[in-house]
Amino acid sequence: MLRRPFFWIIALVIAAFAVLPSIGNNVELRESLVLAAVYITLASNLNIMLGYTGYINFGSIVFFGLGGYICIWLVYAHSWPLAASLLAAGVGVSFLALIFGLGILRLRGAFFALSTIGIVEGVQAFAENFTPWGGSSGIYISPQVFQPLGGSAQALWVIYFLLIAVMGASLYLSYAIKTSKFGLGLLAIGQNEDAAAILGVPTPRYKALAYSASAFLPAIAGGLYFFKGAFIQPSDAFDLTLSTEAIVICMLGGQGTVAGVALGAYLYEELRGYLLTSSTFANFQLTIAGVLLLLIVLFFPSGLMGFLYSRFPRLKRVLE
Amino acid sequence: MKRLCLLAAAATLFAAPAFAEDTITVGFTDSQTGPLNVDSLGQQRGYEFWRDEVNAAGGIKVGDKKYTVKFVSYDDQSVGGRVQQLYTRLINEDHAQFLFSPYSSGLTAPAAVISEQYGKIMIDSGGAEEKPFELGNKYLFMVITSASHYLSGAVEALKAKDPHAKIAMVYSDDPFSKAVLTAAKQQALAAGLQVVMDESYSPSTTDFGPIVNKIISSNADAFMGGGHYSDGATLARQMHDQKAGMKWISILVAPADDKFGELGPAALGVTVPSQWELQVNYKPQFGPTTAEFAKAFQDKFHAKADYHAASGYTSGVVLQHAIEQAGSIDPEKVAAALNATDITTFFGHVKFMTDPGHHGLQEAHKMVLAQWQNTDGKLGRQVVWPLEAKSADLIYPISASQ
Repeated sequence: MLRRPFFWIIALVIAAFAVLPSIGNNVELRESLVLAAVYITLASNLNIMLGYTGYINFGSIVFFGLGGYICIWLVYAHSWPLAASLLAAGVGVSFLALIFGLGILRLRGAFFALSTIGIVEGVQAFAENFTPWGGSSGIYISPQVFQPLGGSAQALWVIYFLLIAVMGASLYLSYAIKTSKFGLGLLAIGQNEDAAAILGVPTPRYKALAYSASAFLPAIAGGLYFFKGAFIQPSDAFDLTLSTEAIVICMLGGQGTVAGVALGAYLYEELRGYLLTSSTFANFQLTIAGVLLLLIVLFFPSGLMGFLYSRFPRLKRVLE
Repeated sequence: MKRLCLLAAAATLFAAPAFAEDTITVGFTDSQTGPLNVDSLGQQRGYEFWRDEVNAAGGIKVGDKKYTVKFVSYDDQSVGGRVQQLYTRLINEDHAQFLFSPYSSGLTAPAAVISEQYGKIMIDSGGAEEKPFELGNKYLFMVITSASHYLSGAVEALKAKDPHAKIAMVYSDDPFSKAVLTAAKQQALAAGLQVVMDESYSPSTTDFGPIVNKIISSNADAFMGGGHYSDGATLARQMHDQKAGMKWISILVAPADDKFGELGPAALGVTVPSQWELQVNYKPQFGPTTAEFAKAFQDKFHAKADYHAASGYTSGVVLQHAIEQAGSIDPEKVAAALNATDITTFFGHVKFMTDPGHHGLQEAHKMVLAQWQNTDGKLGRQVVWPLEAKSADLIYPISASQ
């Protein structure tokens, strides 16, 4: 993997994310990159299911929200340090995903997609009625929790760097899976699941592992995101809009590609951010975003990467 | 006349540049898109209306200088992560000196992480939950009454009419309604009233038939609950259609909307806790009177002012008062002035708690209780509680109004 140029391209992207806002303490750039990093993490992990395995997971947000809840709850109610809480969130959610996955991945197509929405609804209902998690009013944490990280100003930087690390890990995980035997198995399932099974791919186990692997990093990202906001409530944590956006990003960038999905997530967030704050477009930002999405879907149906590959076939070897 | 207008226009042209550089920038986000977009509008109008009025009057007086008010605002999409990004931008790029809160407690909490970090004052008029004020924030101030006191007036008034009333509490399963009714239950029990039913329903409920049957069989005299507009209005209609025979009905939010009157007889006698009503007649020490505010608002927006607009406007009035008292725009001095604020505006009495465990929480403003009554054959809301603010007598039981 180290010999491939794409490995180093990912490293370069992570370095750019980490270094650029640090120059001159540019907090504003940092805040806009925070959301980009969250989108990249969510979309890259969704891509493992959607792009590789061909299973549409409408409920990928449940990993993010549940991770957020576990992390915030451990910090708030049990005074765990942030690092331990994040790790617990990641491991806990991955484990739950493995168990859920073994159950619902027996379903295919539309039935699977529906069951993923069901999981979000179920988990949200649980959070709304689980008193230790504050029920429907959620958990507010005191800014005091930022003290161990050097006060809130510095804490936001620490959280940012951790988030970039999670984003980088997501990109490498996507890439590593894609180039592994496991990844080949997933791609085979995506092409034709029955044929893959006949050829000896252990499909149920592979699918459940992919589902579980795609839960780990979003759960940690959720922990960081809600820790940063010092607040979590069910309607924010399990917002299906974010799930849908992640799917749109995968489609836009080119599902199944690592670079396309990341680039799609970055461009999507920067575009939304720009339109929201631009004095010219702010009042009709949704219209413009909608028209742009429509144009892209009409003219680049195979996504950004599909378009680039067809134009520059050699790119396939560099950007995977 | 024409000449006069020209003269006036010329005068403003010359006068304006003298103040051009002396501006105070106030930043905030509103939810133009996302689930909060309807609710956020009233507050936004209140903010903008205050800015226009204060600038028309020459601006905020700081020492010998007058500062005009400039707004910078963005759409936060009702998303907490976006709020943090935008407040960071408001402070760093747009150099906002003061901040107003987004709409709702859920968006105010993430915004406060940013405003506190930069030591910027943020006035909250759209989030009624108390939790963000129990976290040790120093620059966050709430001008409205908090959620746990929403139904205090209703409980007091009911107790005055029937000290042994049995109450059914049925409310939407959302953070705000739950917080309100949890506190109301404790207050009712402390006042010696009975709570015979305590149940929540999903915010998307559209048929309350079975719930109303349950209320009837609980033998309750009084009903308290609801949540948002559609469920609250449906509850009122179905209780009337199924002849629940309640002597008292208090519903959150829905009856505060003028549309509620369209229910006709089902609306009659229903009470609603409100931060502010058009009939409320406090004698303001600072800012406009209710009549002045209501008329100017009606002229500008061609709509009646509701309490979201009034509380948004009050955010501005309170900030202006504190800046003028401090004689400075230094955040520390203005925060000290806010801590010392103890004034009556058209919105009511405003005073902030200053102990570290509740800093910035509103302690003086009181909710009023409005009741839908027939006055001269016209259905409308009248303020019935507290007695010193009433515009009509409370009707109890409801059947007495038919």
